[in-house]
Amino acid sequence: MAVGALSAHEVPLQAATRVQSRRRAVRRFKLSLLLPLILLFLFLLTPVLLLQLYFSFHQWTVYLGSWWDADFVGLDLFQEVLTDPRFGWAVVRSLAFATGSTLGCFVFGFLLAYLMYRPFRGQAVYYIIFILPMLTVPVVVAYTAEMMLYQSGPINALISAILGVDFKPAWLTNPDIALATVALLEIWNWTPFSFIILLAGLSAIPKEPIEAAEILGASKWRIFWEVQLPLLRPVILLALVLRFLEAMAEFPKTWALFQGGPGSATETLPVYIFMTTWQYFQISKGAAMSYIVMVMMIVIVLIAIHLLRREKHSLDKMYEVRKDAEG
Amino acid sequence: MIITKSRRRLISASVRYVILTVWAVVAFFPIYWMVSTSFKPSTQWFSWPPVYFPDPPTLSNYMNVWLGTEEYDTAQYAISSQTPLISLWNSAVIAFSSTFLAVGFGSVLAYGVSRYRILSEVRMFQLLMLRMIPPIVVVAPLSLYYSALGLLDTRIGLIMVYFLTTLPYAVWMTKSFIDEVPREVEQAAEILGASRWRTVVEIVLPLIRSGLVATFLFILILTWSEYLLALIITKTQVSTLPIELSKYQGSTEGRVYGRQAALAVGITIPLMIVGLIIRKHLARGFSFGMVRR
Repeated sequence: MAVGALSAHEVPLQAATRVQSRRRAVRRFKLSLLLPLILLFLFLLTPVLLLQLYFSFHQWTVYLGSWWDADFVGLDLFQEVLTDPRFGWAVVRSLAFATGSTLGCFVFGFLLAYLMYRPFRGQAVYYIIFILPMLTVPVVVAYTAEMMLYQSGPINALISAILGVDFKPAWLTNPDIALATVALLEIWNWTPFSFIILLAGLSAIPKEPIEAAEILGASKWRIFWEVQLPLLRPVILLALVLRFLEAMAEFPKTWALFQGGPGSATETLPVYIFMTTWQYFQISKGAAMSYIVMVMMIVIVLIAIHLLRREKHSLDKMYEVRKDAEG
Repeated sequence: MIITKSRRRLISASVRYVILTVWAVVAFFPIYWMVSTSFKPSTQWFSWPPVYFPDPPTLSNYMNVWLGTEEYDTAQYAISSQTPLISLWNSAVIAFSSTFLAVGFGSVLAYGVSRYRILSEVRMFQLLMLRMIPPIVVVAPLSLYYSALGLLDTRIGLIMVYFLTTLPYAVWMTKSFIDEVPREVEQAAEILGASRWRTVVEIVLPLIRSGLVATFLFILILTWSEYLLALIITKTQVSTLPIELSKYQGSTEGRVYGRQAALAVGITIPLMIVGLIIRKHLARGFSFGMVRR
C-alpha cells in the first residue's frame, strides 16, 4: 500500500519534470536560433548607436585630439543643425526627390504591369528587358548617365532627332534641373522594382471576382477601379513605401554624378551628412544631423510598418475567408 | 463607323506593343550605350555627332582596364592602389561571404520564426528597419568604432556590416519558403528521434534548396552593388568594384568614357546573369508576404 501511494504521488511529478525539461530544451533551442541576431545587435549595432549619441552631445572634430575627452556641449549641436538653412534645404530636396521618383516609378511600373499581367506573345522577352535597369549597379548608372547626358551627347541628339527640334538641356550642369536628372535616373533604375511587385500583385488577384463582374456587364474601367484596385491595395502601398524609403537614402548616384553640385542643387540629406562628416570633418555636427534624420526616418518607418501590417492582416483575413469557402 | 469587337482588340493589342516597346528602348538604350562605348576607340567616346556603333570595335579598353596590358594614363592609375582584378576578387569574397552568412543565419532564424515564433510579427517588421533606415546615419560612428577594433579597411569589417544589413531580407524571404513546408515532415523526423538542429539542417533546409539559392542570389545582388558603406569602410587595402569605378571620377585628364564603360560592363554582367537566373523569385524577395499565390 505504501508502494502504491508512492508511485501515485510520483507519476505526475515525473511527467511534470519531463514537460519542464522539454520546455527548457525548446527555450534553449529558440535562444540558439536567435543568438547571431543578438550578437550582431550587441557588438555591432549598439556600440555604433551609442557612439553616435556620444558625438551628438560632445563637440569633436578630427583636429581636436582624442575623441573620448571631447567637451560636453549639451544640445548645442542639435540647435546648430536645426538652425542651419542648408540642413533645411537638404530635407526639402530629399523629400522632393523621394516623392517625385517614387511617383514616377509607381506610374511607369503600374502602367507596364497592367499591360503585362495577362499572358501574350513576347511577354517573357519584355519582362527580361524591363528588369535589366534594376540589375545595373547604381554607380554604373551614374557613370553611364554621365557618358550620355552631356549637352551634345547621344540622349539630346536622339531626342532632337525624334522631335525635330533643337533639344539641349544641360542635364549635368544646370542647377535648376540637376536634381530632376538624378530623379530621372532613379526612376529609370528602379521602375523595374515597382513593376515586378505590381505585376506579381496583379497576377495574384483571384480571377473569380473579375469574371463575375464581366458577366454582370461591368466595363473594364469599372472592374479596374472597383475590383482590381482595392484588391491591389497592399501591394501598391508596399511599392510606394519601400521605394520612398530607398529614395530617401539614395546616395551612390547623387554622389557619383554631382557631389552635391552644381552649387548645392543636389545636396540631399545623405549627401549633406556625408559632406559634413567626410569633407568638413565636423564629426559631431554630422552625428547630430544623423540623429535627427534617424529619428525622422524611424517615425516614417513606424507609420509605414503600421500601414503595412494593417494591410497584411486584412489580406490574411481575406485569404482565410476564401480558404473556408473553398474547404 | 461601327468598331467591331475584334477590331477593338487589335487596336488595344497594338497600343500595348507600342507602349511596351517604347519602354523597352528606354530601358535598354543606356545599357546598350555602356556596352558599345566600352568597345569604342578613344576618338569616339565623346564625339559629335554621337557614334552609335563602335567603328572599328576595339578591345583596348578592356585590355587597359582589366589586364593593364596597354599603356597607362599614369595620373589616373596613381589614384588607385590596386588593379581591378584585385577589386574583383575583393568584391567576390565580400559579397559571397556576407551573403552566405546572411542566408545561413537568416534561414535558421526564419525557421524559428515560422515554427516557434521566436520573433513576433511586429518584431519581424521592426527587423526591416535595419534595411529601411538610411545607412548614412551610422557610417561616421561605424568607421570610428571599426578603426578602434582594427576592422577598418578589412574584408571582415565590410562582411559583418553587409551581413547585418541584408539579414532582414534573408529572414523574410526564406521564411516565405519555410512556411510552405508542411509541418508533418518535421513531426515525422521528431518521432524518428532526430534532434531539433538536425531537423532544421538536414530536413527542412534541404527541402527549400531552390528557395535558398534564390535568396542567396537575391542578396548577392544587394551586396555586390553596395556603394556607401564600402566607400566609408574601405580605404586603400581593400576596395570593391563599385569603389574602383568611382575612382575614375577623380581623374584629372578628362573623360575616359571607354575605360569607365569597360569596367562598368565587367561589374554589371555578373549581376545581370544572377538577376536573370532568379527573375521569377524577385517579386518574392521584395514583397514581404504581401503577394499571395
